[in-house]
Amino acid sequence: MRYGGRLAVDDLTFTVEPGLVTGFLGPNGAGKSTTMRAVLGLEPPSRGEALVNGRPYASIPRPMRSMGALLDAGAVHGGRSAYAHLACLARSNGIGRARVAAVLDQVGLADVAGAKISGFSLGMRQRLGIGTALLGDPGVLMLDEPLNGLDPEGIRWLRDLLRTLANQGRTVLLSSHLMNETALTADHVVVIGQGRLIADTSVTALATHFRGDVLVRASHPERLASVLRAHGAAVTDEDDGALSVRDLDAAGIGALALSAGIALAELTPRGASLEEAFMRLTQDSTEYRTTSMTAGTAAGTGSGTAPGPAARTSSGTAPGSAAGATGAKEAVR
Amino acid sequence: MIDVIVSEWMKLRSLRSNLYLLACSVAAVLACAGIAFMIGRGFDHQTAAEQPAFPGNGDGLGNGIAVAYFVFALLGALAITSEYGTTMIWTSLVAVPRRQLLLLAKVPGLAAVALVAGQVLAFAMHAVSMAVLGDRAGQLLRDGVTLGTPLSEPGVLASVIAAGLSMAAVALIGLGVGAAVRSTPGALVVLTVIIVVLPVVAKTLPMPLRAQAGSFMIENLPLQIAGTGGGTLPPVAAAGLLVAYVIAALTAGAARIATTGRRIKAVAIGVAATLLVSAVPAVAAGPPDSGRSTLAWADCADEELVKEMRCASIDVPVNWARPSGRKIGLTVALLPATGAQRRTGTVFAIPGGPGGSGVEDLSANAGSFAELRDHFDVVSVEPRNTVDKGVLSFDCLFSGPWITWPDNPREWAELGRRNRAAAQRCRAADPEFFDHMDSASVARDMEAIRVALGEEQLSFIANSYGGRPGIDYSRLFPGRVRAMVFDGAMDPFMDRAVGRRPHEEAFTRFAAWCAANTTCALHGQDVGAVWRALVARADRTPVPVRGEPAKAAYSGLDIKQAAAPSVIEPGPAPEFPRWTQLAEAIKRAADGDASGFADYVRQSTKSPKVPSATGMNMTHCLDGIVFDDYEEYRAKRREGERLLPNLAGIELWHPLGCVGWPTPVTNPPAPLPAGKLPPYLGVGSWTDFGRSADIVRRVPGSAAVQYLSTGHGLYNAGNSCIIAHVNRYLISLRLPAPGTVCRPPAT
Repeated sequence: MRYGGRLAVDDLTFTVEPGLVTGFLGPNGAGKSTTMRAVLGLEPPSRGEALVNGRPYASIPRPMRSMGALLDAGAVHGGRSAYAHLACLARSNGIGRARVAAVLDQVGLADVAGAKISGFSLGMRQRLGIGTALLGDPGVLMLDEPLNGLDPEGIRWLRDLLRTLANQGRTVLLSSHLMNETALTADHVVVIGQGRLIADTSVTALATHFRGDVLVRASHPERLASVLRAHGAAVTDEDDGALSVRDLDAAGIGALALSAGIALAELTPRGASLEEAFMRLTQDSTEYRTTSMTAGTAAGTGSGTAPGPAARTSSGTAPGSAAGATGAKEAVR
Repeated sequence: MIDVIVSEWMKLRSLRSNLYLLACSVAAVLACAGIAFMIGRGFDHQTAAEQPAFPGNGDGLGNGIAVAYFVFALLGALAITSEYGTTMIWTSLVAVPRRQLLLLAKVPGLAAVALVAGQVLAFAMHAVSMAVLGDRAGQLLRDGVTLGTPLSEPGVLASVIAAGLSMAAVALIGLGVGAAVRSTPGALVVLTVIIVVLPVVAKTLPMPLRAQAGSFMIENLPLQIAGTGGGTLPPVAAAGLLVAYVIAALTAGAARIATTGRRIKAVAIGVAATLLVSAVPAVAAGPPDSGRSTLAWADCADEELVKEMRCASIDVPVNWARPSGRKIGLTVALLPATGAQRRTGTVFAIPGGPGGSGVEDLSANAGSFAELRDHFDVVSVEPRNTVDKGVLSFDCLFSGPWITWPDNPREWAELGRRNRAAAQRCRAADPEFFDHMDSASVARDMEAIRVALGEEQLSFIANSYGGRPGIDYSRLFPGRVRAMVFDGAMDPFMDRAVGRRPHEEAFTRFAAWCAANTTCALHGQDVGAVWRALVARADRTPVPVRGEPAKAAYSGLDIKQAAAPSVIEPGPAPEFPRWTQLAEAIKRAADGDASGFADYVRQSTKSPKVPSATGMNMTHCLDGIVFDDYEEYRAKRREGERLLPNLAGIELWHPLGCVGWPTPVTNPPAPLPAGKLPPYLGVGSWTDFGRSADIVRRVPGSAAVQYLSTGHGLYNAGNSCIIAHVNRYLISLRLPAPGTVCRPPAT
């Protein structure tokens, strides 16, 4: 689908499992918000469809009871009190006032329920937005950058809250452009770049996959390289004659070097952070480094929920059918 | 859906800014008060004569309604633009993804608030306007409405309620525009154009485009819905248009807020609904009444006539008993309706005389009909008995024998011979035409004109002798009369001597004036005694006119007939020039020279004594202004001498002109079919009010207004107070309370 004439989300399919907190990652402009807006029917996909519980979100009566969403904490009228804001939205989905009071309490805004939103800090607005998502006690939660503006205490509170909700069997999807932060909260991550799926994996698998390499300087690098390769390691030459070794830890490298009679000048394990992993994953697709891209395939993003709180997001595009439909090539700087 | 509606109501209510905004609508009340104050001041600065021509303030809402509309439109627009402005809309759309439902759910709450607030505001605006005008509000204006129209006036309650409803409609229009434009400043611009700019632009257009365009402006719809003015639309069409505007605006909003795929459907439904509620009532109300005329209106041949007058010719049978017989052409004149208001119909101005040209009268008095023409076409005719029609000799019809007062059957027969000879002289040119100059034929000509105009009914202003064809029309075609005004009308039902009693009262005023003013040549004398001695002596020995042969000498009856117009019409105060002249003429006549009277009579008749004009008698004598015989004459003369101590005999003048007439009475007076006629209005001055009042009292529910001064043909003369009452009656069929009078401006 397109956003402002630009291809924003293209042939994107992923599944969000119930009982887990799923992080939805991508650099700025990767299409996270667009995907979420498409699910909510705010941005109709140019092709394909977005389904929630097997039907378009817009066709669900009282949809807040099925899925709670936070898109933009700023999407409020500052002239209303927090209570009035939530009460108006609650009423539109047939949700009672008792629930409004309970949610205000849950998000920690009970004390300022009667105050105008215009006086709220960004953090308070995030809490209000999260409260909005929680109003319908939904099985699925979809939060866009919910951690923005929260203070450390707030971030911790939200992590605990999301963890609790997931443990209750709900499906929780939160987007972020910060991997480290997300890794602390999420069990699973979906990474997109340039509107395309890059990774759909557990946080553990990701950490393993990108666990890093070992820097080795040796008296006979070529010989050591062949020894290490013979033991299943991946070895690449660094520019200054050092070796980058993967799939073999430092202890193993040291033992092999000793047995081969090669002196080591340096043996440094280099741990890759998730942030680096994220960078590595997305570097080819990061918008502002890309000089050209192919447009033409429109994607639909759908969510089909299995009974219980599970969400599945999948592309509704007929594969290839639209490829090159426009044939547009756009240079973006 | 109820949940969403309630939710939107909570949204509206939970913003204090909405309350402040509604409070701003007080500005509309202040505008009404301020402008009413200025109107009141301006009105006070007018002379009493100018005041009735002042523009009315109506129900008072017009001055502030644009302010009220602006507030309500903003309230409606903000209900959606504030959501876009704050991006709250995205939160709202997540909660209520059905976008058109979200928009339309705002309608009930907004409408409820606006309906209540609109009514409160409308009534407040009306009340404050009326309060500021105070007693002045009751002043009746020439356009037939009072300076301020209270709720007790018909249609005013409806117009105030409609104005309140229109404010609610404007709030919904604001919502639709807001949804279509999606920004508060943008919506403000569009709404300012709709509420302020378009009406102002419409007012700069030339007529009748101005009125046509103005009729479609929202601010002019409430009055049109109430049927009390505002433009040319019938009430049901105006109401339909107001609803259509709301639907159109909401359609635009619904189409814009919809996702792409649903837009076409929204537009299709909206356009269909808009057309349905606006076009269907307009079609059902039918086309404007004009345009069904079969008369070929063209510029008038007579270039002396006012420019906007249109003329046409209609052929009527000379003898209505033989409709297929010989035809003559009559000139019909039209002063078309201005188009400022919805056209009510046609007013027929029946000319006096007999023998006056309604075409010339209507042209000369066009200014008197200016306000009436906002609602009516005004037509008149050059009737068949017009003396300068050209079929019969004008000079012959304009002249006639001098009337003597027969004292015995021999003199009676001699008068008859003179009259007959004069009639035969004129009749010879076209005897058939001459014998069909009665007012019933004139009335049938009027009916032919009605048919040609394509009007179901006509309204009439019958002036002076025009009262007689007016009565005959009422008698012959009662169902065709919507309304009829008798202005100083000829009354065939009243005893002629009784009808001249106001002349005696005028004579008493003349005598009192002489006693009080040294400018009167008879000052210091008993005017009544001098006068009665003069006419008694003149009846025995006529007073000669210097330089004229002996037969021009003035009898007492000649003196009375020559003096009567001056007695009742003294001319403008304080000089009263005609009373001054009259006193001098009496003084000279008492000294043996009647040339003071002769000089005056000569000015209008080219004769030293008043002739019994054949052109008038040819109608009078057929209309039954006759004595059956000498005995009846003697009885009437005795009765007149009893009732009219100073002016006895003037009541006999016209019937004496018909003694010996060659054609019998063909149209004797006959009673009005009272039960078949709508209430009539009679108006008249000191001199002629009694006759108008006597006619209309024969029609149940009628009323009469007296002008407490002199005059004849008050409507034509431009008497504002009389015009105000007549227009009110003709426009809205409402009659003044019994005893209503018009007073001359204080001098």
